[in-house]
Amino acid sequence: MATKIKVEHLSIHYGNIKAVKGISFEFTRGQITTLIGANGAGKTSSLKCIAGLLPAKTGKIILDKDNVHIEITKMTPADRLRCKIALCPEGRGVFPNLTVLDNLMVGAYLNKDHKKILELVEQQYELFPKLAERRNQLAGTLSGGEQQMLAIGRALMSEPEFLMLDEPSLGLAPVIVEQIFDKFVLLKKQGLGLLVVEQNASLALEVSDYAYVLETGTMTLNGTGEALLKDSRVQEAYLS
Amino acid sequence: MNFVAKNKLLFFFISFVAVGVICQFALNSYIQALVVSFMINAIMALSLNFITGVANQFSLGQAGFMALGAYTSAVLTKVFLADQWYFIPLTALAGAVVATVAGYLVALPSFKLRGDYLAIVTMGFAEIVRVLFLNWNFVGGPRGYNGVVKWPEFLISYGFTGLALFLTFMVLYHLKISWFGRNLWALNEDEIAAEVMGTPIAKNKRFAFLFSAFFAGLGGALYGHHLGYFSPASFGFLMSVQILIFAVLGGLGSMSGSILAAGILTALPEILRSLPTGGLDIRMIVFPILLILLMILRPQGLLGRKELF
Repeated sequence: MATKIKVEHLSIHYGNIKAVKGISFEFTRGQITTLIGANGAGKTSSLKCIAGLLPAKTGKIILDKDNVHIEITKMTPADRLRCKIALCPEGRGVFPNLTVLDNLMVGAYLNKDHKKILELVEQQYELFPKLAERRNQLAGTLSGGEQQMLAIGRALMSEPEFLMLDEPSLGLAPVIVEQIFDKFVLLKKQGLGLLVVEQNASLALEVSDYAYVLETGTMTLNGTGEALLKDSRVQEAYLS
Repeated sequence: MNFVAKNKLLFFFISFVAVGVICQFALNSYIQALVVSFMINAIMALSLNFITGVANQFSLGQAGFMALGAYTSAVLTKVFLADQWYFIPLTALAGAVVATVAGYLVALPSFKLRGDYLAIVTMGFAEIVRVLFLNWNFVGGPRGYNGVVKWPEFLISYGFTGLALFLTFMVLYHLKISWFGRNLWALNEDEIAAEVMGTPIAKNKRFAFLFSAFFAGLGGALYGHHLGYFSPASFGFLMSVQILIFAVLGGLGSMSGSILAAGILTALPEILRSLPTGGLDIRMIVFPILLILLMILRPQGLLGRKELF
């Protein structure tokens, strides 16, 4: 009995522009699911919609907890966070003039238990030791990789069961990207369900259990990461 | 970021008393009035700095809240409390409450807007308040409100205004460094990220706006009782802009910076006024040049976001 999030026939419109045209996919706890696709395919819009930052035009987003269905399509971002769905936004979005520690504390906003929050902070320091070194530094002074780690740590402060990551490799050195993806595998083993949006398709497909390919708002392909890596169409479009 | 330490408070208290005594016995009433004006300006600058500097919500309506505070307090003392000065602290609080209520009404629809739109709404609000008083004969209309009860003694005025400034500073400073302030900073720096962290951004903005309105109302009430006369024209758009200049000069987000800037900008026009320039009003030239230089040389304001202590 796995807990998963099902997206059914989701459409997202910006005024007259149809960014996402009725896509369906799902992601499960303990797995890494990837959405790949070119610019403007609707990946970020889909994540924002699941996090509650954009309204869905049509379709449903359903949290399936051991076959108990909770529809979250109309919920506020805060309520979705209470349902244990967190988003690590694109471009990292750390708060540059707050310290690393303060950034993490904002992430635990919904948690009122101070002792638990401090425990969670320690957990993030354990996951990303670099953050512990820089705990009292302003987040704006961190390197890009450290900021990404901070953004992930901050998202994890809400103790999510599902973590959505929007382009975590954006603008980072390959060695840092690999470090961060190693952490994703670790988090997955701890039972987190990750939904990763990536342009770096080869790396993303390597670590993912299941992957979907988006093209201009529609779902064109899906399969296990391994299968897609070998798929000639994917190789031609994204890996060559 | 810490609570203001006790020994610092003691230091401020002693210097406050010392300045009061010096002003009372060594300086003329012109300087005395300036000192009180400075404290009122500081209250106004602090009230704006909290909403614009910390929460990054650009408000141009401080003069509107100020007017509500001033008129409420003046009418209450004159009509109901027989012009007794010792009711001023109470009526000033009432003025602040009225401003807060108005702030709530403005905030309800406004915080669905972002960025510059809020500036337009608050500016419109201030204008509505001004025109309302302009057309209300009971409070003097365009002639202004005459014979507002004044503080009887400089030291009393100094003490109460100083107390109000102290309260304003302590409340807003501690809010700034509290968990609530941290959420406001987060909202300031990245609204989307703050929203996905689950912080209720609209509620936080509203709450910050209420504090801002409250202290602007308080400052307005004290302004009225300090001068003894004001008119709707006192609370025009220029007043809002002047308050904004205080906050920007001191550094948006720096509470002590606002007080510093209020001091500089209250004193500067008076110093420039006294220069022997042969009838030429040089302060209207020097003042803008100084502001332009500031924007070029130190765009984050004198203190940026830091505090003096």
